Amino acid sequence: MIEIIVNGIRTAISNEMNINEMIKELEYTQKGFALALNGTFVAISTYETTIIYDNDSIEILAPVQGG
Amino acid sequence: MTKHIETKQQKDTWEIGGKTLSSRLLIGSALYPSPANMEDAIKISGAQIVTVALRRQAAGEGTGDNFWNIIKSLGIEVLPNTAGCHSAKEAITTAQMAREVFGTNWIKLEVIGDQYNLQPDPFETVKAAEVLIKEGFEVFPYTTDDLVVSKRLADVGCKIIMPWGSMIGSGKGLMNPDNLKAIRKQFPELKLIIDAGIGKPSHATQAMELGYDGVLLNSAIALAQDPVKMAKAFKYAVEAGRFGYESGTMQERQFASPSTPTIGTPFWHQFD
Repeated sequence: MIEIIVNGIRTAISNEMNINEMIKELEYTQKGFALALNGTFVAISTYETTIIYDNDSIEILAPVQGG
Repeated sequence: MTKHIETKQQKDTWEIGGKTLSSRLLIGSALYPSPANMEDAIKISGAQIVTVALRRQAAGEGTGDNFWNIIKSLGIEVLPNTAGCHSAKEAITTAQMAREVFGTNWIKLEVIGDQYNLQPDPFETVKAAEVLIKEGFEVFPYTTDDLVVSKRLADVGCKIIMPWGSMIGSGKGLMNPDNLKAIRKQFPELKLIIDAGIGKPSHATQAMELGYDGVLLNSAIALAQDPVKMAKAFKYAVEAGRFGYESGTMQERQFASPSTPTIGTPFWHQFD
């Protein structure tokens, strides 16, 4: 197990893995969201090759109302 | 003749960010009593640009997809914002995320410098704008009515600048019309939009009469007792202000001047 921070909440995942695997393990089933890893944007095209390590911080953002 | 004039007015268009639009009202999507009310208000406003945002979402939560589907169904341009960011880095990352989610290179750049009055941080805003423009974004920067900040934004390549009327959500209208006039005068080639502080339709009309290209607002419509009717009011207010600007207002006078002809005045007499 490793611990990561997802949207500010400490979360355990089974081991180091790529972003696609992490999304699946965390059960993010919705379609429209974008992701940043340690404050840097990660494009969908690189999810497969981007590895999540212990203590990484992830932001998963989705559309909301805005002014 | 009247028919001809009306047809011409209906075809009044302008260009912003590579798009040709007929409405000069930009509308926000937040704070409405319900999603249905938001949808109705946006439709009746005639706005062709709607602002949206990104926020954290938990696994399995479908509210983001639901909201996005409503916005997409409106068939108008989407302007994502970077609301809540306090540094250039945060704003740049948020803009990149927004581009992927919303499929647009438009970004309403907001970098807040003070939590009390939500005043934009001019230094971080300029820094972020420079990076985002190099990355191919069409940047709509939210700024104050400071002329020099607008100049710096133009220097880094902004074609659009959005000075505030007054503090976000305050409804106070245009705090410094003279500053706004100076920005308009100095940057005739830029698209200028008043963003924030508009509280009632007459504020929007005033902004348009100053020669601004558009008005962006949210709270004034969403927090009205009847947001849908208020959206309609703003549609006409923006149009009225624009027509007023285009037609050229009369010069102010220091003294009264009768509009009815004085020749043939009955019971005419000279005041002492």
